[in-house]
Amino acid sequence: MKNIIHNMQLYFSFFEASLKEVLIYRLDCIAGMISQIVTQLVSIIFVWITYQNTDNLAGWTFKQSLLLYGIMLTSIGLVDLCFDSLYDIGPKYIREGTFDKILLRPVHPLISIIGESKAFTAFGYLGLGLFITISMLAKLAIPITFVLILKIIFFSIIGAAIIGAIITIFSISSFWTYKSNEIIWTFFRMYTFTQYPIEIYNGFIKFLITCILPFAFVAYYPTMNYLGIDKYMTWLSPIIAIILWIIAVNVWNWALKKYRSTGN
Amino acid sequence: MLKTMLELGKIHFKEYTTYKSNFYLFTLNRIVEVIVYIFVWQAIYNQTGNAGGFTIEQMVTYYILVISLASIATWGVNEDMAHSIRNGKINKELLSPISYFKYYFGIYLGEIAFAIPVSLATFIICAIFWNVAMPVSIVNFILFLLVIILILPISFFIQMIIGTVGFYTNSIWGMQILRKSVVSIFSGLIAPLTLFPQWFQTIANILPFKEFIYTPINIYLGTIQTNEIGFILAKLIVWIIILYLISKTFFNHAVKKITINGG
Amino acid sequence: MGQKEESNMPIIEVKNLIKKYKTIEKEAGMIGYFKNLIHPKYKEYTAVKGINMQIEQGELVGYIGENGAGKSTTIKMLTGLLTPTSGQVIVDGLVPYEKRIENNKKIGAVFGQKTQLWWDLPVIESFRLIKKMYKIPEGEYRKNLKKFTQLLQLEDLLEKQVKNLSLGQKMRCEIAATFLHNPKIVYLDEPTIGLDVLVKDNIRKFIKEINKEKNTTVILTTHDLKDIEDVCDRIILLDKGQIIYDGEKQKFKDTFGNSVTAEIILENKQPNITQKLYDEDFEIIEENENNIKIKFSHDKTTIVKIVEILSKYGNIEDIHMKEAELEDILKEIYRGVKIC
Repeated sequence: MKNIIHNMQLYFSFFEASLKEVLIYRLDCIAGMISQIVTQLVSIIFVWITYQNTDNLAGWTFKQSLLLYGIMLTSIGLVDLCFDSLYDIGPKYIREGTFDKILLRPVHPLISIIGESKAFTAFGYLGLGLFITISMLAKLAIPITFVLILKIIFFSIIGAAIIGAIITIFSISSFWTYKSNEIIWTFFRMYTFTQYPIEIYNGFIKFLITCILPFAFVAYYPTMNYLGIDKYMTWLSPIIAIILWIIAVNVWNWALKKYRSTGN
Repeated sequence: MLKTMLELGKIHFKEYTTYKSNFYLFTLNRIVEVIVYIFVWQAIYNQTGNAGGFTIEQMVTYYILVISLASIATWGVNEDMAHSIRNGKINKELLSPISYFKYYFGIYLGEIAFAIPVSLATFIICAIFWNVAMPVSIVNFILFLLVIILILPISFFIQMIIGTVGFYTNSIWGMQILRKSVVSIFSGLIAPLTLFPQWFQTIANILPFKEFIYTPINIYLGTIQTNEIGFILAKLIVWIIILYLISKTFFNHAVKKITINGG
Repeated sequence: MGQKEESNMPIIEVKNLIKKYKTIEKEAGMIGYFKNLIHPKYKEYTAVKGINMQIEQGELVGYIGENGAGKSTTIKMLTGLLTPTSGQVIVDGLVPYEKRIENNKKIGAVFGQKTQLWWDLPVIESFRLIKKMYKIPEGEYRKNLKKFTQLLQLEDLLEKQVKNLSLGQKMRCEIAATFLHNPKIVYLDEPTIGLDVLVKDNIRKFIKEINKEKNTTVILTTHDLKDIEDVCDRIILLDKGQIIYDGEKQKFKDTFGNSVTAEIILENKQPNITQKLYDEDFEIIEENENNIKIKFSHDKTTIVKIVEILSKYGNIEDIHMKEAELEDILKEIYRGVKIC
């Protein structure tokens, strides 16, 4: 336990250092934030076009779909904020030689790396996600109770943890190729599957996003809970998050050991 | 000069192909992207019997072509530029015996050379799972290719403008995501432009991005009159000239003030 | 203009060169960073304050100074990467920041550990690209490649991917890449940083060899004064943006390095002679049981006089004299010894 607290403290001090670093590139930072929002507009426009052509998609209305979207985006914002630097292991840390320095620190390298995340532009996602979520809850006349707020905070963090674990697992590709960010991105972007009700997919994809890469537990099942459609499935999310993290850390340690023994 | 650029393109292409996994991943990436759109339209079609005024076959063909063209339309050299700015390699690039524009155009050609097999692979794999329409005629197919060739300099000059911004900000990843988003919105990558409001279509008609995806697809499908094509080609050439002048002037201005990585 | 006149012109001519920078003033603390984001404060400072110099074809010049003295800024202006605030730079008849590409064809540059080699590809691929970019004739390319391979011991490296090379190997390849097109002028900014002694030595020998053979002008910036000692004939010393010395290396040593240290071994030495000799023209740095170390300057006294004095305190057995090294001299200069 003491170990975990110590590691958390270290994490926050890395986090602060990288926040300062990114603010130096202020102009690009602002451009980044705007562009993140514009990127999301791309997806929102598609949702809008969808509902111009039908009044429901697998039983979901436009507002319900947007709520699902908002919940998803909130978690994605958290993911970008906290796990962004996992993309840099190959192209930046290993290629530019700073990875060895990280290995020499008296902390688990995963914590060092994750702590150096600095996609503070993710506040754009987070803000937009929360805005959509809250306005859709209001439009759908769902009472915003204290319990609901707690649930949304809890499941958004759990959702981010699920995606974070998936990214961590695929980030081991960095030990073999410095273009690893493409690999991580490929699997990460499968989250787009769960921006829509999963009923529209065929059996294979449904199986993929619930059992193999459980993105469905990030936003889809929690939203079902908030909407009162399915109350129980979402309570599996925390268990899934824990299992995934156990797998992720072990896989990562195994890959690191392999990387160290072969050298570079 | 052209030879040197091709040589740069070749070396960049070689670097890409060092990792065969790149090829599979990019292809997989594109397919994931298209699957979502296709499933959504299929669901709409199943419920309403209509896919935005198109038959489901037309819509599926549209998206498969979108995804095949998307790599060519959105890939570029901005990531390499950002990397060079960050690690100081840019100084060496500015000291090379060919101009920065030509240097990166060479690299861009290598990038596109890699995008083409990805596009073809995506197309072929999708064609196995869904019915894809073939181009209506050889002439249309040639015009389709011609438009795609003409968008390359447009895309490149826009990237150079963004790259030059990096001389001032030292970092361009934000701008480059913005570029991709703007291209996605106005090119018809999300959905056929006819499904957008009228005012939006008016803007899209003026901007060059429509020709990145929407126009070539319609030429492929034969839904554009042949007499319109002359106008499209003229529009592209005007845009090439405008963007060339802007990017070159901006770059020349910036290079006089470069303070990359201080002193 | 005739060929003859041109060869009389210095290859690099710098007049009244000034460079001012505008920087954002950084404020401490988290709040300060946010303040900077919204409303940055600018501050101007002058990195190079009016320098003048002339360098002839084939010279080996050591361009030295402390961190922040303005060395890199000058190099960037010479290469055309930076435009001066005012003043004039002419490199081989061209203004480098106006005719960048023309100038680039004639120069080579190394910046620290940054490499122009293509990370994922074998070294030889990068060399081939350089050949194409600079339009090096096939024969010349082969000749150079063969020679460089031998001088820098690249035989086993050429087919290796750059990412698999050690720093020393990478730098040797980088140096070869820089000289491949027979540049007239080469700027080396910290080429030996972080390298081991053998590699450093290898690179220094290479530079001298190429200079001798091709009359390449070399401007070398480094913190390792052994580089200068081994390679350069001329020193330009920069301090706070101004040149404080420009001339031959040997002369520099003679002028500023006039203090000599000597170790003198005395048999039957009297104890504590330091106290008795504090008034002399030399200084005792160290005193042991049967030897003393002294420091003196040629213009104040001579070794003969010192021997005469010391022989009163014991039998002189042996004398080891050591001229000051560049490093010692610079240390003293940096410490604030005034130069006129």
